[in-house]
Amino acid sequence: MRIFRLLAATSLAALALAAYPVAQLGTVQAQQNQGSDPPHTLEIAWDRWLDHADMGERMRLMARTWPKFLTLSSMGDSYEGRELWLMTINNPDTGPELSKAGMFIEANVHGNEIQGGEICLYTIWYLMENYERNPEIKRLVDERVFYIAPTVNPDGRDYFLHGAGSGARTGHMPVDQDGDGAFDEDGPDDLNGNGMIEQIRKYVPGEGTHRISRLDPRLMEAVPPGEKGDWILLGSEGVDNDGDGRVNEDGPGSYDGNRNYGADWQPNYIQGGAMDYPFQLPESRATQDFLAAHPNIAGNQSYHNSGGMILRPPGSAWYGDFPASDIRAYDEIGENGERILPWYNYIIIWQGLYTVHGGSIDWTSDGHGIIAFSNELWTGNKYFQSPLLAEQQQDDRTPISQGRSRYFFDEFLEFGENYPQWTPFDHPEYGEVEMSGTGKLTGRINPRFMSMEAFHRNMAFTLYHADEMPLMTLGDTKVESLGGGMYKVWVDITNPKVIPSITARGMNHGVVRPDLLTVSGDVEVVSAGWVPNKHRPGKTQLIDQKELDRIMIRSGHPGKTTKTIEYLVRGSGNMEVTYSSVKGGTVSTTVRVR
Amino acid sequence: MRICGSSWMAGLSILLATVLVMPEPTQGQTASYLDFDGFTRELRSIVNSSNLASMESLGTTLEGREVWMVTVGNTSGSPLADRPGVLVVGNLEGDHLVGSHMAMEAVRYLVDHAQDETVQAALTGHVFYFFPRLNPDGAEAMFAPVKSDRKTNARPYDDDNDGRTDEDGPEDLNGDGFVTVMRVADPFGAYMVDPANERLLKRADPTKGETGGYKVYWEGTDDDGDGFINEDGPGGVDMNRNFQHAYPYWQADAGLHMVSEVETRALMDFTVSHRNISAILTFGETDNLVTPPDSRGGLAGPNLPDLPIFADASNADVSTVGVFGAGGGGGRGGFGGRGGRGGGGGIYLRGAQLGSDNDPSSGTRPSTTVATQDLVYFTAISDAYKRITGIDNVPVHRTPEGAFFQYGYFQYGVPSFSTLGWGLPAASDAEGQQGPLADSPEEPGARPGAVDPGGVRVRTPPGGGMPAGGRAGLSNQVAGARGGSGAGGGSGSDAQILQGLEAAGINAFTDWTVFQHPELGEVEIGGFIPYATTNPPAEQLPELGEKHGEFLVELAGMLPRVRIADTEVTSHGGGIFTVSVEVENTGFLPTALNHGTRSRSVGPTFVQIQVDDDAILSGADKTASIGVLAGSGTREKVTWVIQGREGAQLEIKLHSQKSGRDTATVTLR
Repeated sequence: MRIFRLLAATSLAALALAAYPVAQLGTVQAQQNQGSDPPHTLEIAWDRWLDHADMGERMRLMARTWPKFLTLSSMGDSYEGRELWLMTINNPDTGPELSKAGMFIEANVHGNEIQGGEICLYTIWYLMENYERNPEIKRLVDERVFYIAPTVNPDGRDYFLHGAGSGARTGHMPVDQDGDGAFDEDGPDDLNGNGMIEQIRKYVPGEGTHRISRLDPRLMEAVPPGEKGDWILLGSEGVDNDGDGRVNEDGPGSYDGNRNYGADWQPNYIQGGAMDYPFQLPESRATQDFLAAHPNIAGNQSYHNSGGMILRPPGSAWYGDFPASDIRAYDEIGENGERILPWYNYIIIWQGLYTVHGGSIDWTSDGHGIIAFSNELWTGNKYFQSPLLAEQQQDDRTPISQGRSRYFFDEFLEFGENYPQWTPFDHPEYGEVEMSGTGKLTGRINPRFMSMEAFHRNMAFTLYHADEMPLMTLGDTKVESLGGGMYKVWVDITNPKVIPSITARGMNHGVVRPDLLTVSGDVEVVSAGWVPNKHRPGKTQLIDQKELDRIMIRSGHPGKTTKTIEYLVRGSGNMEVTYSSVKGGTVSTTVRVR
Repeated sequence: MRICGSSWMAGLSILLATVLVMPEPTQGQTASYLDFDGFTRELRSIVNSSNLASMESLGTTLEGREVWMVTVGNTSGSPLADRPGVLVVGNLEGDHLVGSHMAMEAVRYLVDHAQDETVQAALTGHVFYFFPRLNPDGAEAMFAPVKSDRKTNARPYDDDNDGRTDEDGPEDLNGDGFVTVMRVADPFGAYMVDPANERLLKRADPTKGETGGYKVYWEGTDDDGDGFINEDGPGGVDMNRNFQHAYPYWQADAGLHMVSEVETRALMDFTVSHRNISAILTFGETDNLVTPPDSRGGLAGPNLPDLPIFADASNADVSTVGVFGAGGGGGRGGFGGRGGRGGGGGIYLRGAQLGSDNDPSSGTRPSTTVATQDLVYFTAISDAYKRITGIDNVPVHRTPEGAFFQYGYFQYGVPSFSTLGWGLPAASDAEGQQGPLADSPEEPGARPGAVDPGGVRVRTPPGGGMPAGGRAGLSNQVAGARGGSGAGGGSGSDAQILQGLEAAGINAFTDWTVFQHPELGEVEIGGFIPYATTNPPAEQLPELGEKHGEFLVELAGMLPRVRIADTEVTSHGGGIFTVSVEVENTGFLPTALNHGTRSRSVGPTFVQIQVDDDAILSGADKTASIGVLAGSGTREKVTWVIQGREGAQLEIKLHSQKSGRDTATVTLR
């Protein structure tokens, strides 16, 4: 992992930019109730889609601006050599990163699903801008560590943003799709250079199969059986690059990076796009290497597009659902998510979307014991924001009915940016034709003017998810003398959050180190047991382990629960009790036994 | 690092070193098991003795040993990567040294017999790739002062997930150089002396009036004081449980995920980037060559010694220590009744339509048995194997979960084999005892792959996929004892296994001797001798090696091989010609197995006529796919009608991913 440190030579410009506002931070402006907001430290506009280079530039700028909290590194390189940027947000004053529960936020595994990247950047910026101003944000940053990877498929992102945008879901490791021994040798071609891979139609009066739709002149529709149209469709833009007589049969990549993870992985003939083995791709492998080195990660969000969904695993039904205790955590967070994110539905992947084998959030939950969601960001429903619009959407006579609304909204809200009219083109094979397409920034991607809301609401949900990661605390303690130098010691152990310190999946798969309850000091532990009900005296549930000063708790600590441990100890003095959880932190308390 | 056969100077110095260090070779062959350094020297000397072989390292293990890959083929002629290839892998299980030696001896055979007609043809028309020692760190354990049957590599692994790694390994308490097992008289013990062989134990069956009286542990002490003995020893991951078919999820010796290791990744990256590989032969502890898949396409059930299974079972409860209260147990079964919000998690967005992705019962499942149409080829190759090697009875046989050869057929789509590389005298010699590979009488009709090594039926998800339930145990063998009874089932075949080995003159068992154990008091130590059940006596290596070399040549001769058998041009005048080409498969195997096609992993065979697409007026496409061609001279004809210049010459290219290439030139007239 490469760490990008503050380099004076390259950061002068940024420092100049940031110097004045940084100086203002100390002046407690945030506490005053003024008529206007205090200035931002970094005035960043959020109405652009950033390619990999711009994204890196913005992250470097933020890392230089908030060096105490932010560390920019790379999880590894993509196939084409782009960094898999990773921003770590950690307050070193509250402990090293591995001592705190980690929230891993990543996006854009599908190259064309870009805006999760901007949400990631917005999240970093928002946390830093509001750290001093908002006590809840400060608490969150102080209690947790955030790992934010705005694109885990930078090759796909740049292919989408720099090119025509077609076939951009994949990563860019070459694959021989047509089995001719050559790799990626015949992809689509933007013949007229307008930045789109368009559909081709030809005017053939009275001999065609299609006609122009009455809904919109850009729409073509098939003529009913028995009738003739004036147009035929001739497929999409492209030529036979490798001279094998076929067009566009072997474009870039052609796999799905989100089928290349290690849980319920299935071969290509069962799960298309899975590649030959899990973690074969440099991107998924680097992500796994990173996860393995950060066992403190307890939460994961993987931003996708589109559909307006808060997805939870499993991706396929074959192996059954999660244990009930895990589902309770998913349900509570997912259902609150539906309230935070209007139009979004909380859904199980296979049940509400489609079956996915070898997806990333199945791996993080099954292979690392993480509670993981994937938000499908954009939904066209966001255009229909009032009861009136929703009603008109269902009415064929209105200009925003099904099939027409996209043109209406494009015309009136974005001034015709996304749906060009058919334009003539002299095609090398087909002669005089017309071509028309759809701008790549529509369909799956929200219009820019809706970005702030999409970014903020999704960030808010993910911060709520992060806030519900386990957070172990030790509470009341009590000592009772039994005579003969023997004492009974009670310690309350609490996880106030929704997510257990070890998920049931994580325990069943043996992928999370058990929580450890250790004792040191002046006493000898004779026996230990869980107290069924601390308000109702009775015998404890015996802990049958050999090392009672190091009790192993494989099942972890449930969410929103306090458990009381009772020790029988011999001797008096100081007794230090420590609860150590890989994902829920380590806490200690000292009991005076006397 | 790449060492070529032509660098004779390096070869000479290595040869000298070999002479000094090597044990006495028999006819230039190696009649002893070699550690990594010795093996490397010997392999290098073979490679350097010929310009047909080259050798390179495709990875470095955690302990710094190279993963050697040897290529053998006559480099004059068509490029090696265009020819049908055979991939040979040895030593997938760390304790299977014989596999390494069989692979190396096969290299020697090819090089030494390069002038024989059939070998020459194989080396000219084909290419051989060898990974003779895939698990060099695991193999090295055979040469340690204390031997234990270690199958794993050197990856540190917290097998019992207690936060301590490799903290409780075996000890050779009685100083005999072997880690065997301990039996302890104990009224809670589930095992009794086996009436069939008083040196052995069997699981007592209370329903037959049998009473146990022994507990069984691995030889060693409870180093970490957790109440278990040898539950987390050194290493690691077993290479032959780390691949993608029927992968045993979440078991310690299978690694954290498929293809997680340097060694397995090196092999996979090589395999997927050499798509010309059209058959795979692995040496491992599973057999599908002596006993080919049955009529249902399944393999014989496992046959492994019970004593190690009993010892593993003593640690079966380790994964339940520290599991408290709710929140641990199994998951909710099924998806049928989602009881509203907060009950089942997530909403039905579109409902589960029958037959759709949203229907849990739908979706293509991975194959788990060999396709009926492919069985004849497995049988034919098995027959050839038995005829050439004379091996018809194997000592032990393991369930292949995550084994490389299973990947080779079920996902890579080519004929793929595994053999122990040695055998025992035929079972019929042994007083009417059933052969070790015969179905266990206690499990009539037991389906291969559905029975774990302990002989207990397990629920196998599709494709041997990911179990949803509890952590499966410390090793494949513990799986047999899941449920925490502390008593492994076992198949009850130890007496047969031992009898077979002893009939072959192999000393495979060390008798019980009394020992005062620091924690358990008086125990007896004894059991199967490490390596003895899985490796033949070293003096057999040269002859076995030669036979496996012969078999490889025979196998290469059976591979599909396409050629352009005939061409024909008819002129219609006016620059219009009909051009046709006949493509023939001269090999025995088809250009794709049935499953090769189903798994979409065998690339197409196609012909391409070298004219502009515009010049083709009728008939086939410029690039015309040939369907699957059966072997033994099966032909397919492709015809184009083209426009061309009288007298012009044009090329027709034949391209097959796994069956070779060919080119023909025709003249338009």
